[in-house]
Formats: sequence, structure tokens, C-alpha cells
Amino acid sequence: MIRAAELGFGYGNRPVLQNLTFDVRPGEILTILGPNGCGKSTLLRLMRGLLKPDQGRLEWDNRAAHQIRRDAMARLAAVVPQFTQTHFPYTVRQMTAMGRYAYRTAFSPPTAEDRKAVEQAMAVTDTLHLAERAITGLSGGELQRVVLARALAQQTPVLLLDEATSHLDLDHRLEIADLLSRLNREKGTTIIQVSHDLDLAAQISHRLMLLSDGGILTSLGPPQEVLTAESLRRVFRVEVRVETNPYTGTPRVFPVIRRRQGATIQSHLHVVCGGGSGADLLRRLHVAGCTLTVGPLNRGDSDAALALALELDTVLEEPFCPLSFRVIATAREKASAADAILLAPTFWGSGNLAGLEMVLTLRKEGKEVFVLDPRPDRDFTGGRAWALIEDIRACGGHVIEDIETIFDAVGEKKSGCTKN
Amino acid sequence: MPLNPSISRSTWLPVLVICLLGALCFSLWAGPLPISVRDISQALFAEPSSSAHAAVILKIRLPRALLAALVGASLGSAGAAFQAVLRNPLADPYVLGVSGGAALGAVAALSLGFASVFALPAAAFLGATGALALVYWIARAHRSTPHTLILSGVMVGSFAAALLLFLLWLSPSDPVRSAIFWLAGNLSLSDPGMLPWAALWIFSCFAILWSRYPALDLLTQGEETAADLGLSVGQARLVIFAAAGALTACAVALAGLVGFVGLVVPHAARLLWGPGHGRLLPASALLGAAFLMAADAVSRQVLAPAEVPVGVVTALLGAPFFLYLLRKREGGL
Repeated sequence: MIRAAELGFGYGNRPVLQNLTFDVRPGEILTILGPNGCGKSTLLRLMRGLLKPDQGRLEWDNRAAHQIRRDAMARLAAVVPQFTQTHFPYTVRQMTAMGRYAYRTAFSPPTAEDRKAVEQAMAVTDTLHLAERAITGLSGGELQRVVLARALAQQTPVLLLDEATSHLDLDHRLEIADLLSRLNREKGTTIIQVSHDLDLAAQISHRLMLLSDGGILTSLGPPQEVLTAESLRRVFRVEVRVETNPYTGTPRVFPVIRRRQGATIQSHLHVVCGGGSGADLLRRLHVAGCTLTVGPLNRGDSDAALALALELDTVLEEPFCPLSFRVIATAREKASAADAILLAPTFWGSGNLAGLEMVLTLRKEGKEVFVLDPRPDRDFTGGRAWALIEDIRACGGHVIEDIETIFDAVGEKKSGCTKN
Repeated sequence: MPLNPSISRSTWLPVLVICLLGALCFSLWAGPLPISVRDISQALFAEPSSSAHAAVILKIRLPRALLAALVGASLGSAGAAFQAVLRNPLADPYVLGVSGGAALGAVAALSLGFASVFALPAAAFLGATGALALVYWIARAHRSTPHTLILSGVMVGSFAAALLLFLLWLSPSDPVRSAIFWLAGNLSLSDPGMLPWAALWIFSCFAILWSRYPALDLLTQGEETAADLGLSVGQARLVIFAAAGALTACAVALAGLVGFVGLVVPHAARLLWGPGHGRLLPASALLGAAFLMAADAVSRQVLAPAEVPVGVVTALLGAPFFLYLLRKREGGL
């Protein structure tokens, strides 16, 4: 169907695509992935003959794409661009009917077939109820569905989408992904799309094409072969973990949070948290470059899950068990090694009260302690937890109102320490 | 905005025909010589009479009304086409250097000593089409987007204005001054014999333009999208430019520079009857014809027997409407 052979293209001296050789198979969903500026959109332009290759060939059934007449091309491939800018208040129906241009001649009224194509295209894109509305008054998502309807009205064997759903909400993005899959299944429509949504691409595509900077074909094949940590590191220069999506069985990519170079806080901090109270704190301190130790926490706690995902040194107790002496002792060891202890705004019950006692003991031994936003209504121990917090404050623990000030406070203490 | 779009949109033709006839009657009636409606109907439909009234109506006012209608129709339809191709609903048919070119052509002809009845319009026409061709050629060299087209138009217009000043400085004679006055908008036709030829020219250009109405619809979506929908953009744009440019040049040659018609008329037509060019082009032509006939009648009537230049009337009516549109633009045009 579409065949590229040693395809090359450049703007001026800058090569945009280099030496691409591939086939598009009829009836497949092919997603082109790659960093910004790697030539994905240019490749789509070459495919529909808007640009002429500088080197090599791009052919549709052995005819060079740029030599195919525009109206013939419009019956082969329909395009959904990323953005549509419009100042003219066409109705949704008029806009959709523009997709029939390549089938019509001037002054001949639309045929029954034209009308049916337009109605169907509006129906499947959920725009029929907007038919008489002006496109200038639509939301971005609605307009994008109208543009898709116009492309469908062209009734082409091939659809080209250039990041067509990247600014739609999740609901409509999934709906359009389903629609594309259905068109592909039921009508055999070949779909070639540019996307940045790796997970969705992996779910609906038969094959993925990975382009790297300079428009070089890095890999082309089924999602599980293309989406590997190794190839994504090479192309996007990020660390990722690739797992299998438990629902679809397709690869799923998790970016590993990158540590900022030249971190703002280089202290070692120990965080006492639980039940999600420390999530924001842990994430932001980790990004800021802190060395973090955490605990004691029960396995299965959401803070524990996050700490493990961030690969932090975490002291863990078995799920739903009261904190044992052994665990407290380990946590205390970690905490005494830290420059300071942060007490997250956790709910306190009999199960985790031992953690609070540990903090008080360490404070009495002179360890720097910051208490984030303490409030008596988080005490479910009948006043014992609040009394411990009051004691910590009385012994010189610093109270901090919100996360922002922790950065300042910890930074100050740190610079104070280095002066001494 | 129309109260019920479906009603007003389906009745566009009768409404416009009534407007046109009303404007024609107004135009035949207005002027220093008081004329009754009976005089008009007698002059138009009764046996040829030799009354002075009939002579004024048939020999002076009717040709002038027809000229206004032709010029208004040209500017209205050309404006609609330029607005679509430049993807700017506030573009004007003079935006691409046509006015400067026409002025330069007319003044050049006069300062070279050609002063016949046909020389001035012919020279203005050549100047206008020359400027348009130059703009198109310059913009083409840099992958013509609407932006490069408009910028080249401004450049060519300024360049023509500079040349014009230079010519005026070279030959500060009276005929040249009269050319400047004529260019400010003037519908007093020097030779009614030109009317049929002008009508033929304008109808053919309009027919070419109208036959491309689906292309105009597509071009409002941008060139890449138009190409993806099956349009040979370069060829379509050349034809539309040539036809709309020829209409504008013809209007300028016949009546000088009558401002705001080509900007406001298509805009109003779009508000009333929607942006589809199959209807917008004839609607703009008819509305333009009615508007300019009425404006010309006003220009003869307000300070009769003195005559206000018609360009002044269209500007006085058009500029406030334009500002109103600009303010409204936030809510979508």
C-alpha cells in the first residue's frame, strides 16, 4: 500500500528524515512515536504528497505520493490535524460536508450518497446533535470531533491522524480510540497516527514506529518489541520502566522520576508519615534531591507504596500489625542518622502511636524535628497523641504551617549547620 | 443576528431582490431635480416620452444607478472572495495593493498625456492588475501564506504611493489633480457606452468566481486542510485571485476607490445568510449593488444640488459598522 524506500527530507541544511525504509500494511493501525521535532508530522506530509522527498521514494501502490492528484489523494487518505483554527461560522453539517469535496462537482447538488456519508460521519463522532451549530462556538473537543467527522465523510481507506486527540479529555480520547479500532476492525481502514500517548498507542496499534532525533527509524514492530526501556531511553533520553498493563496485556510505560541535578536540599531527612499524609512531602523532597529515609510504616499503606516506588530506604512492619519493638528500633536507627526528622500531618491511632513516641525520644536527645501542620482533630487515641505532639513542641520541635516553608526551614538549618 | 436563521437563510434571494429594487427606485428619485414615482414608472414602462423628466431618468440617473450597482456587486463579491482566500473575515479587496496600483496607473497615464475617456479607466485597470500580479509573484516566492500575501500587498501599495508622490512632484498639473479627485470615489460616468462592456466583464468574472465556491469554502480552512480535502490549492487560488482581482480592478477603473463596500458588505451578508460561498457570493454581489446605489443616492441628496463624493458616504456608513464588528469579534464572527 504505502511504501517508503530510503526516504529522506530536509528543510535547508537540517535533515528532518533520513533513510527511512518501511511498508504500511493494509488494514493495520500504525502509530509513529518520537520526541518533538523528530519529523513525525513531516513524514505524514510526505505520505499524503504535500511534500516531495529529497531522497528516495514514497509510493502508494507504486505511484509517487506527490504526483497523485489532490482529489484522488483525498479519496485515498483523510487527515485529522492537531489544531483547527477557524474564523468562519460554518455549521457543523457544512463543515462535515466539506469532506465530500473530492466526490462533487460545482453546482451539482449533493447526492444521496453524499448526504448519507455526512450523516453517518456525524453520528459516529457524536456530533449529530450539534449539526446546525456554528463551529466558531464549539469547545475544542467538540471542534476536534467535527474535524474527525469531516475526515470520515471522505470515506477513505486510510486515515492519517497528527496528534489528533492530544488535547481532548480522557473520555473523548478513549472514545475516539475505540472508534478508530472499530473502523479498523469493521471496515478495514488503515490508520496511521502520530501520538505522544505511549500507553494508548500500545493498546490500539498493531505496530509502532519509533523515530529518534534527526528522523532516524529506530524500531518498527509490535508494541511489546518497540516499547522497551532500552529503546525509549535511547530515543527520549529518559529512564522508564516498562510493565504489562494488567487489563489489556499491552506494555505500559512508567517514567522514573528524575532527580534534579544540583539539588536544592542535600540534607538527609527522616520522614514519619502514613496513610497518604506524607505523599506530597516525599515526592517533592525526593525531586529536590534530599536523601530520605521513611518509617515506621505498615506494608500496604499508600505512603509505604510510594516510598518503595521511589526506592527510598523504608522501615516496614507487616500489614495491619502494631509496630513491633524491632521495627521501632530500626526506624530509630535510621532517624538518628538523619539531619532532621519531619513529622507529616498523619492521623494517630493506637497502631502508630509508637512512631510518635520515638520522635519525642529523639527530640529529647537533641535531634532537629519539624512538625507539619499539627492539629488535635487528627488524634484518635483519646488525647495521648496530641499530648506527645505538645511535648515535642515544648522540647523545641519546630511547627511548620505548610510544605513550602519546609524547604526554607530545612535549607536554613542546613546552612546554619555548615557555618558551625 | 437573524431571529430565526432557517427562515432568513432560505429567503435570502427575495429579500435581496426587494432591497435591490428599492435602492434602484431611491437612486432614480434622488437628485436636484424633483421627480415623482409616477415619472419613474412612466419613463421606464410607458411609451418613449420626450419630457425632461424622462430624459433625466433614462440618460443620467439610470446609467448612474446601473454603474453603482455594477461597482457595488464587483466590490461585494470580490471582498467575499479575498476574505476567504486570506482567511480573514476583515480583509478588504484593496488590501493587496490594488488601490495604490490603480492610482499610480491613472496618474501615470495623465502625466504622460493620455486624457481620453477610455484612457483613465484603462490605465487604472492596468495599474491595479499589475500591482496584484506583483503581490502574487512576490508572495509566491516565499510559500505564500495569507500573512506573506497581506504583507506584500502593504509593501507594493506603499511603493506605488511613493511613486505616485514622485509623479505628482514631477508634473503638478491640473489633470493630475483631477485624477486624484476621481480616485477618491466618483460614480459620474464619463461615457455610458462603457456600461455594457463593463457589465459583460463583471458578469464573466463573477461567473468564474462563483463556479469556484466549494474551493472558497475549503480555503477558509487553511491551505493544508484544503489540499487534504482534495483541492489543488495553487491552481484554485490563482483562478480566484485573477477573477476577484479583475473585479476589483474593473470597479476601481469605473468609479475610483470606493471604500468599505468590499469589507462591510460580505461581512454583513455572512452574518445574515451564513458563510457558505455558494450563497455568500451572489448575496454579497446583490447586497453590494443595493448598498452602493443607495449610498450614491444619499450622496446626491443630502447637500443637493451639491454632490458629496460617494466614497465619503460609504466610509461614514461603513466605518462605524466595521468598528461594531471589531468589538463583536470576541464572541466569534
